[in-house]
Amino acid sequence: MAERPIGSENQPARYGAGLLKGLAVTWRNLTRRSVTAQYPDVRPELPPRSRGVIALQEENCTVCMLCARECPAWCIYIDSHKETTPATTEGGRDRSHNVLDAFDIDFSLCMYCSICIEVCPFDALHWTPEFEYAEFDIRDLTHDKDRLREWMWTVPPPPALDHHAEAAKELEVTRRAVQDDT
Amino acid sequence: MSPQDGPRQVVVGLGAGASGFSADGRGYERGGGGPGSDLATTDMVLNVGPQHPATHGVLRLRMTLDGERIVHCEPVVGYMHRGVEKLFEVRDYRQIIVLANRHDWLSAFSSELGVVLAVERMLGMQVPERATWTRMLLAELNRVLNHLMFLGSYPLEVGAITPIFYAFRERETIQEVMEEVSGGRMHYMFNRVGGLKEDVPAGWTGRVCDAVAAVRRRLPQIEDLIFGNEIFQARTRGVGVLPVDVAHAFGVSGPIARASGVDLDLRRDEPYLAYEELLADGVLQVVTRTEGDCYARFACLLAQVKVSLDLADACLERLTEMAQGPINVRLPKIVKAPEGSTYAWTENPLGINGYWLVSRGEKTPWRLKLRSASFNNIAALPHVLEGCVVADMVAILGSMFFVVGDIDK
Repeated sequence: MAERPIGSENQPARYGAGLLKGLAVTWRNLTRRSVTAQYPDVRPELPPRSRGVIALQEENCTVCMLCARECPAWCIYIDSHKETTPATTEGGRDRSHNVLDAFDIDFSLCMYCSICIEVCPFDALHWTPEFEYAEFDIRDLTHDKDRLREWMWTVPPPPALDHHAEAAKELEVTRRAVQDDT
Repeated sequence: MSPQDGPRQVVVGLGAGASGFSADGRGYERGGGGPGSDLATTDMVLNVGPQHPATHGVLRLRMTLDGERIVHCEPVVGYMHRGVEKLFEVRDYRQIIVLANRHDWLSAFSSELGVVLAVERMLGMQVPERATWTRMLLAELNRVLNHLMFLGSYPLEVGAITPIFYAFRERETIQEVMEEVSGGRMHYMFNRVGGLKEDVPAGWTGRVCDAVAAVRRRLPQIEDLIFGNEIFQARTRGVGVLPVDVAHAFGVSGPIARASGVDLDLRRDEPYLAYEELLADGVLQVVTRTEGDCYARFACLLAQVKVSLDLADACLERLTEMAQGPINVRLPKIVKAPEGSTYAWTENPLGINGYWLVSRGEKTPWRLKLRSASFNNIAALPHVLEGCVVADMVAILGSMFFVVGDIDK
């Protein structure tokens, strides 16, 4: 490549005009209110879909392990045992069901992709916009089911969809059922 | 003083290692055995990076200097190599999207898009119209976000601190609507094979309209602040010229190539989504420059933001007059791409981003080759840097608009 002599640029016609223009922008903005968010004093308003942290509705979990298997980072650890409920009626069968012992999510590995929430067939996992869970030690980022259950209280209701959107599957089923009745 | 006898006269006053002024006598370059100097000098190897704050992330440059001139530059890449192509092979198509939006963290949506387009093509899947137009809208907003980042960070690198605050104010405006629809601020994870994850919230299109209008209204501030600035022009005009043949030879793409006069934009030349319709409407303009210097690259970026905002508006218009409909295709539990291969490429904000998908009919790809824009763009860097002075190095490096994750993959 040809060597460029230093300081040989073609100079603009009126030197300093561009600088003054820039200063005018600065001046105009100086007279306006700043856009800075005063975070610790004023908390941000986050949209309901914000992927802050994963909350667990423990009661809904059936230990099907779908979330742990589908997780691309393998950051969900589940432990459970089987319990048998004796038959309540004469000649009935004993019922066995899974009991959740541990449900840990390691947020130092989590990629916040929401696949676990999508695959959960019983709506046990939810996103919440809560984000203040920084820790000093990386090991403390693994949160257990009690902590995840606490976050459940902060889960916002999902936003209403755009009126161009397809109606929810449940609504469509209901509408058809009503039509069939009449 | 005539330019010819310049070097010999000043060498005394400047101290050891200084051989004098540049050949034309107007500069103040020190050292080196360049033209006009008859000093025999030793080359020096200067290592920049891998943690140098002047580079983005962990790019390393090994430069050989002759005085202040760069005679040789060797980019050493791979410090952030994550083996993403190998990781793709052990993940199903939904899990791949998570990784695909991470190699170039400034164009997450566009990178996701390439993956799903490839899989949809393999499956022969028809994507609902609403999904196509919403995808296009989000891809253009993503382009604006990406370009605003560089419009702010590039002046910062050449010494102007202020523009980044303006750029980030605009970024925040758009990021707000992106977060509202996808829940993420960087890694949107909003594409799915067959459409998008879920439909947009009520009133969202109106808020996007407002955000686009606000950014368009305030964009001239960034332009006034830095684009006409004499100091900025002196640092960037005629600096780091990338010749068009070098751009072709290295497969340079995107705004950098278009600043050198490579008139290639996949949105126009191989339309995907519904760009064809926007091209017919005349909304899609391809911005090109011929100078190929840092200033032209910056100008290209600025002009592309305006085009992208227009495209976003056109998409919004279409979305509001569209009939009610689904935004995705209901998928079976396991998505398997049929046996075969396809190459899907998209015009990412930084250049051409391509995925070569080879499937053997499994639920994971057999091979998913990633062609990332920054890797090719940075390959041309030695050709641009050689012959320049060290003081221009950061100005040139910054104007190559790359993301290290996109280089190292």
